[in-house]
Amino acid sequence: MDVLSNLALGFGIALTLENIAYCFVGVLLGTLVGVLPGIGPVTTVAMLLPISFTLPPVSALILLAGIYYGAQYGGSTTAILVNIPGEASSVVTTIDGHQMALQGRAGPALGIAAIGSFFAGCAATLLIALAAPPLAAVALQFGPAEYFSLMVCGLIAAVVLARGSVVKAVGMVILGLLLGLAGTDVNSGIRRFDFGFQGLADGIEFVALSMAIYGIAEVAHNLEQKSETAVVAGAIGRVWPTSADIRHCLPAILRGTALGSLLGVLPGGGALLAAFGAYSLEKRIAKPPRTFGHGDIRGVAAPESANNAGAQTSFIPMLTLGLPSNPTMAMMIGAMMIHGIAPGPRVMTDRPELFWGVVASMWIGNLMLVVLNLPLVGIWVRFLRIPYRLLFPSIVVFCCIGTYTINSNVFDVFVMAFFAIFGYLCLKLDCEPAPLILGFVLGPMMEENLRRALLISRGDASVFVSEPISLAFLIVAAALLVVVAAPAIRAARERAMRE
Amino acid sequence: MNIRAPKDFWTGIMFIAFAAVAMLAARGYSLGSAGRMGPGYFPMLLGAALGLLGVILVARSLVIEGETIGRLRLMPLIVIALGVCLFGIAIERLGLLVALIAATGVTAFASRDSRPLEVAALALVLAGFATAVFVYALRLPLPLWPAL
Repeated sequence: MDVLSNLALGFGIALTLENIAYCFVGVLLGTLVGVLPGIGPVTTVAMLLPISFTLPPVSALILLAGIYYGAQYGGSTTAILVNIPGEASSVVTTIDGHQMALQGRAGPALGIAAIGSFFAGCAATLLIALAAPPLAAVALQFGPAEYFSLMVCGLIAAVVLARGSVVKAVGMVILGLLLGLAGTDVNSGIRRFDFGFQGLADGIEFVALSMAIYGIAEVAHNLEQKSETAVVAGAIGRVWPTSADIRHCLPAILRGTALGSLLGVLPGGGALLAAFGAYSLEKRIAKPPRTFGHGDIRGVAAPESANNAGAQTSFIPMLTLGLPSNPTMAMMIGAMMIHGIAPGPRVMTDRPELFWGVVASMWIGNLMLVVLNLPLVGIWVRFLRIPYRLLFPSIVVFCCIGTYTINSNVFDVFVMAFFAIFGYLCLKLDCEPAPLILGFVLGPMMEENLRRALLISRGDASVFVSEPISLAFLIVAAALLVVVAAPAIRAARERAMRE
Repeated sequence: MNIRAPKDFWTGIMFIAFAAVAMLAARGYSLGSAGRMGPGYFPMLLGAALGLLGVILVARSLVIEGETIGRLRLMPLIVIALGVCLFGIAIERLGLLVALIAATGVTAFASRDSRPLEVAALALVLAGFATAVFVYALRLPLPLWPAL
């Protein structure tokens, strides 16, 4: 089968009335929740996860994917209108986007963000369709040694791309791996780290952990900040940008899309890095550069295209390798497992309708985002005005319901309360939670592959360097660590992060 | 000796504490050998690595100057955690409606901006919304009323 017939299959699935409806609901809900200040895509997906439980797997994934890019777009709306980034990757959008809003050009800023995102989404979806099959074919050849080294490489990359101290990030990865090991060991049947709790027999519930950290700990953290936010008052104005605006932005959108597609595949802060990278690239080549930071429309177009492209291509490692490149993808993997699908290279061959249906729905979802958001911006703005004192109890309660309904297990709710406190302390200590989440998801897989690799080689650890592919992954991992440890590059990285 | 980088110091202590708990618990699981890994092998490995990183962080924080920890405001956090636990205690015995209203009511006290009447209204709205969406529309297995 070639790409075209695959896509045809995908559109056949995605264009059924039912799935269009789920895609629509996903995008709508995602935007709606993502618009609310202080709620990023991870929290949005986590809170809305229970909605997908009763659906068939394809529809569930279509819905969740829709929620994800809806939330991503909603975050940009918040960034432009309130100057609060809904998530890290729209931080740069606040710079020029909010300036535009203050100058009364909020409409075109929102419009170009939607158009840029749409273009980037289309390009990235096509890229997934082209790149995923060969990647999955390669991944099918991977043995346990290759997988283990690939995971090491991915986790190291996530550490390098995380903000702040590398030592702390590595520690968070290891802590995540350890937390992931709790529960019954598949090989020996021994219950590990259950501390006598029956509720930990199946391990720590992923949804409880991520909602605790991204939902509840965030709420506690946000309550410390200034309470009320100032929404840009007055009319949004014409949303559709002028053709001069579009011509002005087109190169920025193209460059942003290209950069974002590439960086999105990387583990860790793919979308984040993409947005930062695209912005500074445009700033560097723009003539005159002085308009950047003072409401230059290209300063919205480039990072918005980049982060949407990155958000989209981050599906590639998830769908082909079964490895999450960011916490939202980890959530997707969790959702797939709830539906009894083991993520990995086999998904494409065993469940082509699932894979291609989701890919095709991404394109449809992106189209919906444009159609939905441009006319509905006025309504989203009203949601922005909901005061946080009403929002935060709602977030907490939805997290409770979500966590409880996963397994109908009360214990998970207490686990969530526990990790909420832990998550708050991590925020206070500047320990990035993303590496922890990635480690948590990979923990059992990593142990299993390590165990199998060493079983085959009879305990000889040199298997990881004697297999060429495995060696290549380890070299990349080592190179990344060296690079980040080098003082000159570290200084540049810190400067880039601050910008 | 002075702590020069409190954030790093306490992160290190946290890592060491987790590593200690992990390694103490993993003592009971058989290690096996590299070729035939027991359930204790990987946890021990990770625990040791985490502990080592913790020690590095603590040692470094005594030498290199670093950031101080911002003001901790534990009250909102504790109130929210209590609200969550209350939900957990109530959901199976008293049902979704009671659990939800109780959790909303308690959680709202985490913010000084909350107004009693508004919170009551919010709790009712949330209860109605959750009942309509989760129980009736999505048919999730949630007990609505108190179990008798």
